[in-house]
Amino acid sequence: MSQAIAGQLQSGYPAAMRESIAKVEATRDRRLKEGPRNAMSAAQRTQVLQEWHPDYKADKKRAIQVGPSKGERMPHEVADLLEAYPVVNPRKIDLSSPDIEVQILILGGGGAASVAALFAHEEGIPTKDILMVSKLRHGDCNSIMAQGGIQAADRETDSPASHYIDVLGGGHYTNNPELVKALVNDGPLMIDWHEKLGALYDKVDGQYLEAHGGGTSRRRMHSAKDYTGMELMRVIRDEVRNVGIPVIEFAPAVELLLDKQGHAAGAVLTNLETEEYIVVKANATVLATGGFGRLHIQGFPTTNHYGATADGLIMAYRAGVRLIDMDSVQYHPTGVAYPAAILGQLATEKLRNQGAEPVNAHGDSFVFPLEPRDVESAAIIRECYGNNNGVSTPSGIRGVWLDTPMIDAIHGKGTIKKRLAAMWMMWHRHDIDITVDPALVFPTLHYQNGGVEIDADARTSVPGLFAGGEVAGGVHGKNRLMGNSLLDYNVFGRRAGISAAKWAKEHAAKSPTLKHIEAFSADLESAGIKTDRKAPIILPDYRREAVLERRLRILT
Amino acid sequence: MSEEKMMQIFIMGKAYDVPVGVTIMDAMEYAGYRFVRGAGCRSGFCGACATVYRKEGEYRLEFALACQEMVEEGMHLTQLPFTPAPRSSYVLSELDADENVLLQHYPAIARCVSCNTCTKACPQDIEVMDYVQAALRGDLKKVSELSFDCIQCGLCSMRCPADIKHSHLAQMARRLYAVTQSPEPDHLKTRMSELAEGIHEVQLDALMKMNLDELKKQYAARVIEAEGEES
Amino acid sequence: MNTIPYFPGCSLKDTATGFESSAQFVMETLGLRLQELERWNCCGTVTSLTTDDLMHHLASVRNLVRVQDLHESELVALCSMCYNTLARTAQRINADPVERDKINQFMDRESSYEGTVEVRHLLQVLRDRIGWETLAQATPITLEGLKVACYYGCTLLRPKEAAIDNTEKPTIMSEAMAAAGATSVPFPFAGECCGTYQVVDRRDLSIERSFRVIQSALRAGANVIATACPLCQHNLQEAQKELGHVQGLADIEIVYFTELLAAAMGMDPQRLPEGLNVLIQQTAEAQTGWGGS
Repeated sequence: MSQAIAGQLQSGYPAAMRESIAKVEATRDRRLKEGPRNAMSAAQRTQVLQEWHPDYKADKKRAIQVGPSKGERMPHEVADLLEAYPVVNPRKIDLSSPDIEVQILILGGGGAASVAALFAHEEGIPTKDILMVSKLRHGDCNSIMAQGGIQAADRETDSPASHYIDVLGGGHYTNNPELVKALVNDGPLMIDWHEKLGALYDKVDGQYLEAHGGGTSRRRMHSAKDYTGMELMRVIRDEVRNVGIPVIEFAPAVELLLDKQGHAAGAVLTNLETEEYIVVKANATVLATGGFGRLHIQGFPTTNHYGATADGLIMAYRAGVRLIDMDSVQYHPTGVAYPAAILGQLATEKLRNQGAEPVNAHGDSFVFPLEPRDVESAAIIRECYGNNNGVSTPSGIRGVWLDTPMIDAIHGKGTIKKRLAAMWMMWHRHDIDITVDPALVFPTLHYQNGGVEIDADARTSVPGLFAGGEVAGGVHGKNRLMGNSLLDYNVFGRRAGISAAKWAKEHAAKSPTLKHIEAFSADLESAGIKTDRKAPIILPDYRREAVLERRLRILT
Repeated sequence: MSEEKMMQIFIMGKAYDVPVGVTIMDAMEYAGYRFVRGAGCRSGFCGACATVYRKEGEYRLEFALACQEMVEEGMHLTQLPFTPAPRSSYVLSELDADENVLLQHYPAIARCVSCNTCTKACPQDIEVMDYVQAALRGDLKKVSELSFDCIQCGLCSMRCPADIKHSHLAQMARRLYAVTQSPEPDHLKTRMSELAEGIHEVQLDALMKMNLDELKKQYAARVIEAEGEES
Repeated sequence: MNTIPYFPGCSLKDTATGFESSAQFVMETLGLRLQELERWNCCGTVTSLTTDDLMHHLASVRNLVRVQDLHESELVALCSMCYNTLARTAQRINADPVERDKINQFMDRESSYEGTVEVRHLLQVLRDRIGWETLAQATPITLEGLKVACYYGCTLLRPKEAAIDNTEKPTIMSEAMAAAGATSVPFPFAGECCGTYQVVDRRDLSIERSFRVIQSALRAGANVIATACPLCQHNLQEAQKELGHVQGLADIEIVYFTELLAAAMGMDPQRLPEGLNVLIQQTAEAQTGWGGS
């Protein structure tokens, strides 16, 4: 931290925030003794959601005018990209002799893509006939950032049925039951797979350290400190490398290819460094391109990685796949609200499942710490902007305290540094010690609840096109519970890999075309959509207006 | 920041005015850079934005993640977005977890001169040299514990005079430690055999047949298990 | 004209230019031109590469710093090689503030070494801090009748500055054995080299040397060799394995001196070498006249 800033701060916080921290400290012992507030009733949940959750603001969405989900309401940021023209001109792409031909093309470099690759190989596809292509590096993804844990019903007192009910209730019964069944039933299977790959889950005396997450009825959250996503991703990635599955990095897909029958036939990629296009013909294509956090729905900051720009949604939609539950967005209740340098970065739910309680500016608790995420987020927004009990930061943002010192008070000194090492480090870099002081949080854009429609075998409506992970919808309905995204990418990554392998063995792709792109553009025109918007956008642009306005595009 | 104070930094030798109080990554974007390489998760977990810098008037090189480190007046910086570090492939189930296994796959660890430069390059404050030394002794547990927070950015390997490939070495050690010394709990094995028998699928199928009201009743009737740590 | 490749060196290019020019003149006159190498660097005589071997001590110094971090001033080592390396570094760096400064500067932001840590071998601690009498009182199980050849090898005794006892006639290990009731038998090869790291690429050489050590102990009447170094132990045991057919060679036990002390203190025999247990039992039986005779 620079001296200019540090001079005005006491252990990372300005004086005004320190006054509020003193109030939090004053009530801490009492709150520890009394325990958390009770969870809300179903009616209370509905009320806070309708009044305060960003999803319920009607003017932030519009009905999409073209394509298979025509008429369905989506955030403007998503609709803008679906109602945008292709970045490639189909007539300028030479599809006659593909640059690469494989049996299975996997789009994505994250968890779902890697799992799909490994299981496609296990299903009998030779490594040379599989190709993973990634927009950024292999492993630059949301999967690697997940901190808190992964749910799986493996304890005697738990069951996949209990997990099923939790998921369905948390998702307000909007989930696709077939997908939920697959998710919960495969949970233990995936944990077992991770064990065999050598992932290091937290254990005490040889037993898993399993915790609750928001909206769970059983403790089934498996963790690897608060690096759960990183531990899984790096182990799975290491295995992809061991097996020798080829990966091309910095080569995102920009359009899918279909053959004359309308079957998936590969994709057009672009080399982000040379800007060449690359045509890949494949018998089966797996869409594992992740979500849309970097679209900054309603201007929210996001926990998502740099490449989360909804490319997969756009490409699949143009190929004729319906998108579902796109009206709902997951705002993680606790994004960083201070300091501004790390605004919106994730403060894992594990902080709350280990005992940290959300507390307002006066030091009072106002919500059960482990409500489902949408409810918890809405309650925090209400506390800041409805009840005006938020804490204001120097940059004008409001937030509430997450009373992190409660964790060591409950579980013993050293717990935070041991179980929440990444969180401790994140704030420590800004001179804030969360073992001593609370952290300021506010909801942040976290997860794309909806997505591409799939069935339990990860098939889309386009034959030969499979999808898994955050790009797909239906698993979580309109609200995902903590620890189910890591499980999702494993379960549906695996199913997509296996299904793609089975399909690829029996169906040779015919000549690839981009006719569907031309047709989609024609639909846009006949719907009267006149715009210079182009999609997919591949990467967000955070350059300053003043620089962009003065750009001379000499080298383009 | 309410009033935007500015300062000068040098990106690959070129001067730019950027706001005070932002990360190196935000400062570079403010200056007009659009990342292709050098930005990933933007939250300190992926290691894509490894950055080397020197402070004004200092001779030392410092190491950081651009998405986590704040810019400072007079900082001279460049990114190291890629580390050409070869890894040794292996079949996990066929490895002998003896004390020489790491040395066999990564013989360069025997060249460690304990200079500790790796440790000083680590943006995660990992005791890198200590785990290399533990690897030399074949102590998988120690390597696993010490290296656990590694985000595999590669800065240690870029600095190592012995050309050790630290992050690959540690990755192998952790996986091997997990499968040999951190066994799968019995209850998971029990659940796996129950699943194979299809016991749980029957329960799930019953739930899937329920209508919305019945499901809501089931949800409301859940007994929430007590908090606790023992599994 | 004939030429010969010529290395000038740094001095001849600045302070000793006359040396070079005159030599060139002489040689040209004689018809053999000095042909300067197109590409050359320092011959290697700069201090950092020859007399200043400070970098080799960095690992040792860091271990001394760990002791200092504990606010302690003494470090004990068991392995004689480690003892030797650490002790010599400590002696050198403790005594020389200039060298200490150089090392501290290189370590930069790590804790600086203040030069206050002394390194001891366990035998020294037993002798100087515990005392033989206390040791004797703590060994209820007598090793009487055991004939121990105390093998020091090189690194406990050499160089003289690092020696834990008289370099030529060490007694420290014998005294430890005596405290445990064992008899130590002097043998001429007690301070000879086992062949050390030569085992890696000249195994024949280390086998030969180790063989002589064992044979010397056997001839002195020993039935067990006590060592203080994993490498000595390894080399002796390798020789024993390789040349086990030689008369009597397989009959001698080779153990760490601490294993003998532990046996005398009643450590669970299961945690001690099988051969040692058998030997102790046989000796005890012979002493009391049971069996045997």
